[in-house]
Amino acid sequence: MNKNKEQLLNKRYKAEQRFRLYGLSAIFMALLFLTIFIFKIFSTGYSAFQKTWLIVPVTFDAELMMLDQNPSKEDLQDADYYDIALKSMADLDPNANEDQENELKRMVSYFFEKEIKNELLNDPNLIGKTKEVYLTASDDLDQVFKGNYPRDLPEDQRRVSDYQLKIFDQLVTNGKVESKFNISFFTNADSREAELAGIASSFMGSIFSILVCLMIAFPVAVLAAIYLEEFAPKNRFTDFIEVNINNLAAVPSIVFGLLGLGVLLAIFHLPRSTPLVGGITLSLMTLPTIIIAARASLKAVPPSIREAALAMGASRMQTTMHHTVPLSMPGTLSGTIIGLAQALGETAPLILIGMVAFVNTIPGSPMDPAASLPVQIYIWAESAERGFVEKVSACIMVLLGFLIIMNLFAQIIRHKFEKKWS
Amino acid sequence: MIKIKAKDVDVFYGKKQALFNISLDIEENQVTALIGPSGCGKSTFLRCLNRMNDVIDICSVKGEILINDFNINDKSCDVVRLREKIGMVFQKPNPFPKTLYENVSYGPTIHGMAQSKQEMDEIVETSLKKAALWEEVKDRLHEPGTGLSGGQQQRLCIARAISVRPEVILMDEPCSALDPIATAQIEELIDELKKEHTIIIVTHSMAQAARVSQNTGFFHLGQLIEHGSTDKIFKNPDNKKTQDYITGRFG
Repeated sequence: MNKNKEQLLNKRYKAEQRFRLYGLSAIFMALLFLTIFIFKIFSTGYSAFQKTWLIVPVTFDAELMMLDQNPSKEDLQDADYYDIALKSMADLDPNANEDQENELKRMVSYFFEKEIKNELLNDPNLIGKTKEVYLTASDDLDQVFKGNYPRDLPEDQRRVSDYQLKIFDQLVTNGKVESKFNISFFTNADSREAELAGIASSFMGSIFSILVCLMIAFPVAVLAAIYLEEFAPKNRFTDFIEVNINNLAAVPSIVFGLLGLGVLLAIFHLPRSTPLVGGITLSLMTLPTIIIAARASLKAVPPSIREAALAMGASRMQTTMHHTVPLSMPGTLSGTIIGLAQALGETAPLILIGMVAFVNTIPGSPMDPAASLPVQIYIWAESAERGFVEKVSACIMVLLGFLIIMNLFAQIIRHKFEKKWS
Repeated sequence: MIKIKAKDVDVFYGKKQALFNISLDIEENQVTALIGPSGCGKSTFLRCLNRMNDVIDICSVKGEILINDFNINDKSCDVVRLREKIGMVFQKPNPFPKTLYENVSYGPTIHGMAQSKQEMDEIVETSLKKAALWEEVKDRLHEPGTGLSGGQQQRLCIARAISVRPEVILMDEPCSALDPIATAQIEELIDELKKEHTIIIVTHSMAQAARVSQNTGFFHLGQLIEHGSTDKIFKNPDNKKTQDYITGRFG
């Protein structure tokens, strides 16, 4: 009998130990996957925050630019920069033939003419002088410099020719290649050229979409939750509504995209590819999440508080607005943030309403066409150029950073509210 | 003088009847205790008096309850005005999770009883003084009310209830969550409050009923078995059941 008890005790201890072990290994696994994921993204993406510049001497020859003596600002705007731009690249190798000159030109971004122009507009006194100008390297050379380019492939399988590599290596040895923080990644809109592509358009698109989504979903959801929880009679009809809200939360997001396409675009003719339509579509998706969270936190407010307020002679409305709703706000807000975070990472519905279009302008309002961060990731991941690989990871990093900041913000708000109430 | 007159009150929870034909008169400026075993309907009856049963969807009340000769179950009765006149203190202390000051000033604010900050300060001070809490908390009026001890919280709830100067105060087992010292303080307070308010207290403790009340009603299985002066109920009850309950044979 005694022995039997001891066995049972040992068994219990062992079972507890095993359970603890299972739990620990589960946590370890989760952390491992997370670490691998983050390591992969950071190791691929960090280089996108650096940009490679070629330092090329440019001679601002007034004759080549077709400028008169003492040119005005407008003259400088309208001047022809193509020839001096071309010449300064060709001058990198005085012995270059015509084909090679073409290859030299393609070592920098197609944007180089404008970079030279900006240099002169900043300092008109440069006319007739020579200055070393920073030109954006082409995306392939950028990758070469970052060590991401397979140089040992046979030449016919590479986009960079041996000749370009030779000149580039010369420039490197002469210290004429420099890597700087990639500001244009944050200030440029999308581009077909990897070296010029940035996230400004999709970032703004995401922000506008989220704002539209918040402004529609939050008030509607909170009012619906308050009504259902505090005022609505409990009957078949409200039960039916409740079941449907829960079902709505489980509807795949692409269905909402179809709804946006079929109703917002086809019937209401709202502007295509805009954060306005995207935000409305996302708000449909976020609505049930917020309603469920708000109802749960309203339910969590102890009934004794309601009774206290009612017994003081507060009306139902006053009880709700003065006591129940403020007490439920921290929970409601965290539910809202979770819903918005979901919406922020949503791709499928946005693709359907046309936010997948190539947008090379930065939207100034929710009515302008824009992409969004997850769609930008999708677009870039589809692109063939090597330069976009790191951009994908960098864009993911920005998206994750965005989410972390949102959660932090939610935590701070929660903390403030909770301090006030406890 | 009779303050509250209940006539043939029936209460139903759905189809189940919880109170049967209760008729009870309550004297002004006295303490009336309602005693009886758990589930006998004494709290239900108490909640009829300020229509708190309205909150429960399935609950329906029949019969007349006259307060100052006005039937509060009448359609023309506004519950907000009614509850302004009839305060309530609950079993578990339930201060709002706000500051002490906000707790006490809430009632006067929503009923528009103070014209200025000064007036409000006065109301808060007198209410807390009447609730015998002022000396303990006067330096921390702007700290949360939930930080007080259980007994202090209950006195805060009493201060909150009397802040709107109600004519009647309903107390639903106000001491059941408190220790003996806090209970003694509250009982002393009840004795003081009856000078200005009519008090009805539901209690499980017969000793408490004997200590604080002038009148007692004994409930059993949804019926008012007997009511009368506390002296009579405790010393010489008419009904055998009352006798058995008082002497501890059941309940």
